[in-house]
Amino acid sequence: MRELWTMTQYDLRQRIRDKSLIIFSIIVPLALMFVLDLVLGDLTNPQLQPTTVAASVPAGDQLGAALVDVVRSLDGVEGMDITVRDAAADEVHDLTRDGRVQIGLIVPEGFSTALQQGKATDVTVVSGEGTGIEQSIVTSVVESTVNRFSAGALAAEAGAQSGLAPAELAAIGQEVATAESTITLAQGTASNEQLSPTGALVAGQAGLFLLFTVGFGVTALVAEREQGTLARLKSMPMPSWTIVTAKALVSFILGVVATAILLTLGGRLFNVNFGSPVAVGVLIVAAVVAATSLMFVIVRVARTAEQANIAQSIIALVLGIAGGAFFTITASGWVGTVMDLNPVSAFIRGLGITSGGGGLGDIGTPLLILLGFTVVVLVIARLIPDRGAAQ
Amino acid sequence: MLVADGLVRRFGELTAVDGVSFRIGRGETYGLLGPNGAGKTTTINMVAGLIAADEGTVTIAGERMDPSSVAPKRHIGLVPQDLAIYPELTARENLTLFGRLQGMTGPGLRKRVDEVIELIGLTERAKDLSKEFSGGMKRRLNIGIGLLHQPTLLILDEPTVGVDPQSRNQILESVERLSIEGMAVLYTTHYMEEAERLCDRVGIIDSGKLQAEGSQDELIRLTEGADHIRLAGSGDTNAAADTLRALPAVQQVVADRHSLQLTVTDAPTAVAEIVTSATAAGMTLADVEITRPDLESVFLHLTGKALRD
Repeated sequence: MRELWTMTQYDLRQRIRDKSLIIFSIIVPLALMFVLDLVLGDLTNPQLQPTTVAASVPAGDQLGAALVDVVRSLDGVEGMDITVRDAAADEVHDLTRDGRVQIGLIVPEGFSTALQQGKATDVTVVSGEGTGIEQSIVTSVVESTVNRFSAGALAAEAGAQSGLAPAELAAIGQEVATAESTITLAQGTASNEQLSPTGALVAGQAGLFLLFTVGFGVTALVAEREQGTLARLKSMPMPSWTIVTAKALVSFILGVVATAILLTLGGRLFNVNFGSPVAVGVLIVAAVVAATSLMFVIVRVARTAEQANIAQSIIALVLGIAGGAFFTITASGWVGTVMDLNPVSAFIRGLGITSGGGGLGDIGTPLLILLGFTVVVLVIARLIPDRGAAQ
Repeated sequence: MLVADGLVRRFGELTAVDGVSFRIGRGETYGLLGPNGAGKTTTINMVAGLIAADEGTVTIAGERMDPSSVAPKRHIGLVPQDLAIYPELTARENLTLFGRLQGMTGPGLRKRVDEVIELIGLTERAKDLSKEFSGGMKRRLNIGIGLLHQPTLLILDEPTVGVDPQSRNQILESVERLSIEGMAVLYTTHYMEEAERLCDRVGIIDSGKLQAEGSQDELIRLTEGADHIRLAGSGDTNAAADTLRALPAVQQVVADRHSLQLTVTDAPTAVAEIVTSATAAGMTLADVEITRPDLESVFLHLTGKALRD
């Protein structure tokens, strides 16, 4: 054990002196987080623009007026800035074309009557230049409101056929059209495993660069084989397993420290809360162990330090991209299952759970994935021939 | 101190070491002399317990050595051919690290580190990172690490390769001093003059086989009745070599671009005919030298090849 600690201690001293560790494990990922947040921020976290809607409603059409009121009520909801101005039907197209309003809404003549009689009718939504998500929201709201009006009319018609009194029919129609939805959306809980786009970016970059950081320990074995220090270490009076264990310990320590720093700094800089420190700590340890196990495969396959670096970069980028280090990739079927077994995606998934309030008891699945990955990879590393030692 | 018995090591189809046996006693310097690729480093790797022998055994101070051994490794100090030092550590840190791995601790380790730093002439640079050292300084540190724990057997694998003449001389002087102090030394080299200067006994190795071993005098006696003539000059040396091989007194001829090395019977009598024949074969001679038999002659005699890089 004394030899193990001595080798680990001196190895860590060298890694710290070698500036590339701090550059590649801390500075580069933090810089990438900033750059990616700037580049992808608008895509993953869109900002809604102020929007003016020109609405044309026939005089005295109550349901048409109600529809426009629903659109008007969107103002102030979830950051929306909606202004509704009245316009004549023939003005609406000109206003949107000229850019004076962003969206036009035309309620046709006889809209209320048509709905009450169950007849077909069209509400026109006109999109102006540069409208995007705002137009989609208004269209969706108009569509769902019109559907509810139709449902109310159909319910009233069904009641009339059943011989209900006009007062009861009106009440049914009113009830259907205005009732609260029985379906509600839940805000981020432990079960939804979703990080905010920025949180996913921080977690993804930490997961990706973990695969590079652990290489400073184990894959150094390949470099030491080349420079001759491995031969000298093997000539020392100590069991040979202590050499490999010391390198794995170095990888582990570097991986845990670097990832903890990245998540802490990244969390503070980008205002992301990853939740329970204990649960996050356990996730980091499991992810570092999984990443370190991968390095043992590289050490067995690579004959030179250059080969080891290339193999490590390829594996890190493939697992990082597939695991969602840059953007979320969704897949179904067996491809989706395989992608779920990726240690980077398991790490991000686990952080999603902790970020949503989950604790140790909730991260069992990602932990099992990371543990299973480690076991399988270590078995593979044990079985494949050691090409470097065979030279 | 060391007994290597029937060592065999194969790499696929290649038999790198084929039945090598030798012994080294306390205070003895034993040289393994052979060209590059002869099997010297593979032999050293088996002796130091870095790789396993396919056949044969290594015993150091009565203990069997193999890669999983711990106890016999306490007796050896290995100086690999590569510069086995950590560039991001200082000279003192390199020595301290390997001292600790040898089981040394506390004031004893610090005192010994100071002694070795002085011995290898790095007192002024002890706190500098070894990546900033010259090639010769790195070589000396490489040797210092091997000496640190005062092993009973020091194994040096071509320690002077790529070293400037001054550092080379310092290294050879250090090895001579250690031998005088009673340390057993296993020294591999392809430089004949190093083997002649340092070694009490020499094993001549070629193509993985130990061709002969003994003291220099014993080895030279193997060439008894065979003198050595060197012809230097210009012209078609290969054609001249073919002509000279036909002469009855000539046993062996090795040619390179500007010289011929001949093993002959009774050089004083044969030299006139040899010079005449070489000239007739188109060679313009610049120098003719009848040399005293040395390890080079022995190697030539045993293998039919010149000992060179």
